[in-house]
Amino acid sequence: MGNSTERDERNTGGSGMLEKKERYQNRIELLQGTLDLLILQTLQWGPQHGYGISVAIRSRSGEILQVDTGSLYPALHRLEKQKWIRAEWKVSENKQRAKYYQLTAAGKKQLSRELSKWSQFSDAMAGVLNPEQT
Amino acid sequence: MNFWRRKTSGAELDEEVRAHLEMAAQARVERGVDQKEAQRAARREFGNVGLVKDVTRDAWGGRWLRDLLDDTRYGLRMLAKNTGFTAVAVLTLALGIGSNTAVFSLIDALLLRSLDVPAPRELVRISFGPPGDPEPMSGPMFDRLREQQSAFTDLFAWKNAPMVLTEKGGARPITGAYATGSAFPTLKLKPRLGRLLTWQDDEPSALSNGIAAVISEAFWLEHFGGDPRILGQPIIVDGQTATIVGVVPRSFNGITVDYAPQVVLPFIFDVAVRGKSSGRFRPDWTWFSPMGRLKPGVSLAQAKANLSTIAPEVLKESLPSDDQRIDYLRNGTFSLSPGRRGNSPLGEIYGRELWTLQALVGLLMIICCANLASLQLSRTFNRQQELVVRSALGAGRVRLLRQLVAESAILSCTGAAAGIVLSQWMGAGLVRYIEQSDFPVFLDLRPNAAIYAATIALAMLTVLFTGALPALGLTHVHTEEMLRSGTQRTVIHKKHPLAASLLPVQVALSLLLASLALLFAVSTGKLLRTDPGFRVKGITFFRVDFDERPEKGEALLDLYRKVLEAIRQAPGIASASVIKHLPLEEGGSDESAAPVEGNGQETKHLFANVVGPDYFATAGTKVLAGRDFSKFDRIDANPVCILNQTAANFFFPHESVLGKHIRSTEPKANRATCEVVGIVTDAKYNSLRQPAPPTIYYPYEQLPASGWGGFITRSHDTSAAVAAFKGALHRIAPDTPLLPPITIERLLEDSIGKERMTATLSLFFGSLGLLLTAIGLYGLESQRVAERRAEIGLRMALGAQRKDMLWFILREAALIFAIGVPVGLSLTFGASHFIGALLYDISPLDPRVHFAAILTLLSAGSLASLIPARRATNVDPMVALRYE
Repeated sequence: MGNSTERDERNTGGSGMLEKKERYQNRIELLQGTLDLLILQTLQWGPQHGYGISVAIRSRSGEILQVDTGSLYPALHRLEKQKWIRAEWKVSENKQRAKYYQLTAAGKKQLSRELSKWSQFSDAMAGVLNPEQT
Repeated sequence: MNFWRRKTSGAELDEEVRAHLEMAAQARVERGVDQKEAQRAARREFGNVGLVKDVTRDAWGGRWLRDLLDDTRYGLRMLAKNTGFTAVAVLTLALGIGSNTAVFSLIDALLLRSLDVPAPRELVRISFGPPGDPEPMSGPMFDRLREQQSAFTDLFAWKNAPMVLTEKGGARPITGAYATGSAFPTLKLKPRLGRLLTWQDDEPSALSNGIAAVISEAFWLEHFGGDPRILGQPIIVDGQTATIVGVVPRSFNGITVDYAPQVVLPFIFDVAVRGKSSGRFRPDWTWFSPMGRLKPGVSLAQAKANLSTIAPEVLKESLPSDDQRIDYLRNGTFSLSPGRRGNSPLGEIYGRELWTLQALVGLLMIICCANLASLQLSRTFNRQQELVVRSALGAGRVRLLRQLVAESAILSCTGAAAGIVLSQWMGAGLVRYIEQSDFPVFLDLRPNAAIYAATIALAMLTVLFTGALPALGLTHVHTEEMLRSGTQRTVIHKKHPLAASLLPVQVALSLLLASLALLFAVSTGKLLRTDPGFRVKGITFFRVDFDERPEKGEALLDLYRKVLEAIRQAPGIASASVIKHLPLEEGGSDESAAPVEGNGQETKHLFANVVGPDYFATAGTKVLAGRDFSKFDRIDANPVCILNQTAANFFFPHESVLGKHIRSTEPKANRATCEVVGIVTDAKYNSLRQPAPPTIYYPYEQLPASGWGGFITRSHDTSAAVAAFKGALHRIAPDTPLLPPITIERLLEDSIGKERMTATLSLFFGSLGLLLTAIGLYGLESQRVAERRAEIGLRMALGAQRKDMLWFILREAALIFAIGVPVGLSLTFGASHFIGALLYDISPLDPRVHFAAILTLLSAGSLASLIPARRATNVDPMVALRYE
């Protein structure tokens, strides 16, 4: 029994579990700019809690954009630390106490900056991908 | 981020996540999903809750601090849970680091530390003498040298001298020093209070204006209560009054590392005390130890060249014209050596032994580290299950590794702290060992930056060895396999290669330590057992200072007679006499002499001593032929002498000695010839290691000009002798300063102090090494037995004999010894070259010693491995098998 253990260990190498966290961190990096924009844009319609934000993004994108909680919460806390959004504990319609985030003045400015950056980016992408349309 | 806020936001995050899960579940319930199923799905969608919280907390920043706190907290908890392991590990570290710091702080104080003065590297020591025999110089020679040299900004001279302080309550000995007026300006010292000595203080004009004195800060504080009004107060030293003008800062304790002068006086003070007989301007008194401060940009070699250029002129003007030592002095040259560290006579005596000890404690430290590493390794293996569970719960490999390192860091910091405390004790003990009789040794063993750096480096190395290395091997663990294989088994049977290689190293080094310790112990034992030629127990010596007494000449002799008689009459005194040069303490006077009758040769190296009546009976030196001195050997009687056996054989080989005559060939001999009236056994003088020199003894009443050492008594106990001497002095010569008594026993111990120190400490360190190795072996065997419980049970169930099983378990220990012992032996033989010179009357290759060392190691090793092995063979096979 001992022998088989050793062999298995050598074949498998490192552990899948151990690498999971690194994967999370990669995805945050990948989505960072976009996710911030999506969150700020969602909060433009009013204060919302984390679950509400993820539901809103999913439904508005036609179920295409699935926001991972492992990316959403770090992003929320980071934006709060940057003072673009502000958090407040409130009771939801379902009598559920939840942490509601809302845009600050600085957040609104940041949103317009991000929006113009995004439209520049998407124009540029479009220009490269479909040159005949411009 | 502060701790409090961290805690509240941690709770907030928990609630935020809980709210998310509940809302997600609620949304599903509203869509008609079953309550339980909804909760499960919400959780599935959310992912790993712990991990999300973890990465979210990352967004707060300050993560390293948080992790550090977590690691520390967790590490402390783990260490507290394993009290046995923690205690052994901290103790091991404390002993290793403590003994290293203690020995190193002594080396630092005696051999490494610079004088605490500005730019100490510019200081140079200057000495004078025939090549290879550097000595102090005379006052006039120093003066001429100082006038004519051009390589130094200035020169100064220094002389440590025990002095007597007279106060209202009586006289008491103090540590004093003479310094030339140039000393403090050249050293660039600033006063703590008042002013320091200047050149004017050392001019002859000071004799009429009043002599200035400075005192040390420690003396100022403890004796004068730190009173600033001390300035201008008179102080009576050696019967002469001086005026305190300043306090020397505590950072400076004289230029000799083990002698801290309480009072420093200008050299001219000696003229004030002794008048015409002062040695200040005498060309034949060599007692100035000069130092100089090099001019900027001048190298030692250039200074040397400068001094050899002016040497003929200086010598012409300063050498005595008709001294017996003139030949000796004429051959002299000036020699220079770096003076950054000042003088360290103790360092010169103990230097080699201290470095040897440092090497030994270095070895001990390696053993400690090896032991810790194997302890840690076996513990970490036993923790595999825990580590696997933690990694399954999402702990990253780096995080696990850091956790293990953190534990080691806590261990080594605790160990280092405990070690520093321990080293204070050990350091004080070491100083006591090297203390001599006359004055307590002053040694400033402050743990300075160098020592802290060394200790911290040792601790860091220990961390690397014990924390990171085992951890590296472990984080390869394959989680799933481990979890599947059940909770009770250690999965990896294969030992870490490090663990396997550590024990032979430990065995080899322990053997080296044990062999060296035994060698030093045997050598010191032999020294202690050599017959010194005089009694050791019950002999007490009292130095006297009758300089201040009015009696001179015959009256002084009579004073001696009276005191001696009073001591003899005192209760408890078996015998008493007078002696000039105490054995084992200082060099006596060299005398050249030749036999008058017979055809023996002349010798220039006859050791001469002056003793009183019944000296040999008192000291316990056997009179082989003839008689002891008596009170009738006076100045008006027939001049007599007594020879020791070596001298008798030298002067009168193969003939009868008694009644023959010896002629002194010294130019200024007191008497032409003397009759040999006795032969005594050889008694050692300068050191127990050297054979007794040819010695001639003169009766003290026939050499009145030679000055007296003091009284020697034989009594049942020292207190009786002290009482007798005090009583006699009090009655006959009151206000004579009472100097501390010296016992021959103590003197003998002092004279082999370094041997005893080396032997005792190496035995101590050797046993520690042995103990640590035994602990290591015990740990290894216990682990093996635990691992193979089932196998042993099975084998025994199948009919294996107990002794087969014992061998099965001890096999590995035997292999460790088979590798470690030869390696250790060859290391010892390699080291024998270096320690041969430290040994007395034993070869470093003496097979008996090495055999004894191996035997000790083997028995300690077998004991350590037999205990777990016996436990294994007592296993009930059924129990062991059921366990699986």
